[in-house]
Order: sequence, then structure tokens, then C-alpha cells
Amino acid sequence: MSREDEYRALRYNVALSRMDHVGLLRLAGDEAIEAVDAICSGDLWVRDGRMLQTLILDDRGQPVADVYVCPDNDACFLMVEGITTEQLSAGLAQHVDPDLGVELEDLRPEHELLSVHGPYAWELMSRWLTPDIIGLPYLSFYRFDRGICFRAGKTGEFGYDLMLRSEHAEDARKELLELVNAFGGAEVSLETLDLCALENGFFSVRHGSVEGLTPIELQLQWRVSTRKRFPGVAAIEERRAGGIRRRLTHFVARDGVKTGHVLRGPEAPVGEVMTAAFSPAVGGIVGTALLDISVAHPGIDQFFVRDRDFTSPIRTVSSPLLLNRSLLVDPRRHTYSTREEAMHPPLWQGSLP
Amino acid sequence: MTPDLSEYIRSRVTILDRVRRILRDTMKLKIEPEAIDPDAPLFGTGLGMDSVDAVELVMQLDTVFGLQLAGSPEDFLKIRTVNAIVDAVLETHDES
Repeated sequence: MSREDEYRALRYNVALSRMDHVGLLRLAGDEAIEAVDAICSGDLWVRDGRMLQTLILDDRGQPVADVYVCPDNDACFLMVEGITTEQLSAGLAQHVDPDLGVELEDLRPEHELLSVHGPYAWELMSRWLTPDIIGLPYLSFYRFDRGICFRAGKTGEFGYDLMLRSEHAEDARKELLELVNAFGGAEVSLETLDLCALENGFFSVRHGSVEGLTPIELQLQWRVSTRKRFPGVAAIEERRAGGIRRRLTHFVARDGVKTGHVLRGPEAPVGEVMTAAFSPAVGGIVGTALLDISVAHPGIDQFFVRDRDFTSPIRTVSSPLLLNRSLLVDPRRHTYSTREEAMHPPLWQGSLP
Repeated sequence: MTPDLSEYIRSRVTILDRVRRILRDTMKLKIEPEAIDPDAPLFGTGLGMDSVDAVELVMQLDTVFGLQLAGSPEDFLKIRTVNAIVDAVLETHDES
């Protein structure tokens, strides 16, 4: 199956993906949330059964991990991208009060993580698990006999992450794949998930280089507390005191634009391309560029990339780029089988430079 | 920078600052305006606003900018982020 077929499955129907790149951990103990709070950058205002996205920063204030924090009575589940269990364990040992009675458990040997995405993912999940799943709010989770269903996702579509005990994982995957095929979907790769995240403005530790960048440049200040101390806070405060000089901004282009290209204005360079990928919905390149703050705005047509034998104009755009089908599909009125009766507008409503 | 681009950016920054102040003063977001990133999601994850906030925000945008939104899913796109609001306000001004 081509990358474009995977993409269409996810954006228009349903998609199944293995999430082997995500660390699954459980921090046990009455003070588990306090321990997580000590190493994460955000304010952990989240109650049992709900989820919250946060970051772990290094001493330079650079994000090294993208984390879902999921408190559950006297424990806390963590879904971690970017660092290993050993690195997280070392971070906890370094920054958490040893008097807090917490214990970190790696759930990976006994659990697997699968995810289901797409505008009809809710319908598939209601058939596979329970019709009640349709009412599960975004960023919350639900226990069932084979594991836990997390309502999350970083694609802009309906998304469910399924943490399954290993003895059930293979059967569950087969059942889900059968349903995915019945819904005109496909199993999709991590590259397709990353492309969809890029189009919808989700941060990914895998999107190009974040070297030297902090949540300030990455437009992730909402994940940084101004009330507490955490690893990397000194670097963040120093960067804030110096004023914001550069900001990550999305762009589209026809072709030829690659990560690392210098972005030029009419008179001088204005920034650098951090991530670039072909988007089937846009019919061209979507990406992010780190721009000088004076020009880090959407709607600008005057910048371009010049390589040896070509010049490619770019247009800066607001993020998210797409009108996701999941915003328009209403579980009370729509179903996969009647999808062609619904007249939905195109995913991308802009134009290329 | 060309005069056209300077003027465009000046317009954007003026509206951006005003929207950030609405979010802080009217919507009671407890953060400094400059810490509200232009592409940060306003609802759900991100700045954590909810459907009640959305109604209040739509009223404020109508009062301050004359931006009229009917509540369709397409209209929701126009208030997903501060930058999306700025785009919508500029578009409204262009049309008028």
C-alpha cells in the first residue's frame, strides 16, 4: 500500500497503527502525580480518568519528550515519545523527592499499544468495543476487559489508543484489521501519522530538528508552567527575558522544498525550513519554518527557497491547515455506510503559491 | 521588507494583540498576552477553553471586530487559534 493510500484511509475512513514508538509506563503510589509534576514542564491540572499533554525538557529548555499524563486513582499512566524508559527513570531519580513513595513500572513487556484514527474511527470502535465509546470525551480513558482505551490522537481526526495486555494483542489486532478493511481503511505507518500531525500543527519530537529550540519558539508555551520549577525552567526564563526572536510558522509550497533549506525574503534570509513533506490533501509541500519574529506570520507570499537549479516560492499559512473530516462527521447523523450522501467540503481550502 | 508586507504585518500584529487581550481580559485566561502563541489551540488541549467560552468569544469578536459567526463547523475553524481569528478578521475587513 502506498503512503498516499494510507493517508487517504486515515483522512477519509479509518486507519490502524502499531504504536511501538510510544513508551508505556505506570507510576504507582499516592504521590505519583506529584512525582510526574516534578519532571514535566506543564501544570498538571488533570483529574482521574482524564489525560493531559505535557513535555519533558532538558537543561537547555529543549523538549526531549512528548508525554500524556493519565492519573488513575493511586497511580499515573504515562505515554511517552522521545525518551526511553531508562532515561525517564533517570530523570525521576534526579528531580523527584526520594521521600515520595512512588515506583515506576515499564508496561511494555506485558502490553502493546495500537491506535485507530479517522473520521469513522468512533463507529469502528463502537462496534469493536461498546457503543458507549462514542460518548468518551477527548483526552479521557476507559477500562475494558482486555486493556484501556485512551481517547486521544495527534492527527486531527477521531483517535483511540488501545493499551492491550499482550495475551490479547494479536487477536485484537486481527479483529480490528478486519473491521478496518470493512470500513475501507488500512494499516498505516508512523510516517503517515507524522504527516497528519504536521498538517494539523501537532508537535512531534520527530518533526525535523528541534535542536536549540524551546517551547517559546515552537509555539508550545501553553505546555509550560509559569508557576513551578521544573527541568529546563532557567533556560526558558532566560529566553523569555531576552524576548522572542524566532517562531515556528507553517508554510505550503508546490515542490522542491526540503528540511534545512534557507528561506529568503526580497532582501535577506528570513529563516530556515525545519520540516517539509508532501501532503496529498494540499497537493504540494507542507512544512514548518523557523522565521525571524518580525515576519513570523501567516499569509505572506514574498518568501522563497533557492537551490542550485530552482527557485520555489512558499506561502506562510495558519495552522491547522485542514478542515478535518472528523469536524464535520457527526455520530448522531452520519455513518460510514451513508458517507457518500454527506457533501463535505475539501480538506484543504487554500491555494499554493 | 516591501511597504505592502510591512503594512500587512502591521495590520496582523494590531489584530493579534487585540485578540490576545480579549482572551486574557474577557475570557480570563490567566497568562500574559505574549505567552498566548498565535497557533496554539484554544479549545480542548492547548489553552483549555470550552464550549461556553466559545460562545463568549464569538460575542466578543462580533462586538470588537464585527466578525459574525453562525456556529457551523466551518465557522469553528475560524476560532481554533488566535491566528485563525486574525485571518477571519482580515478577510471580513477585505470583504467590507
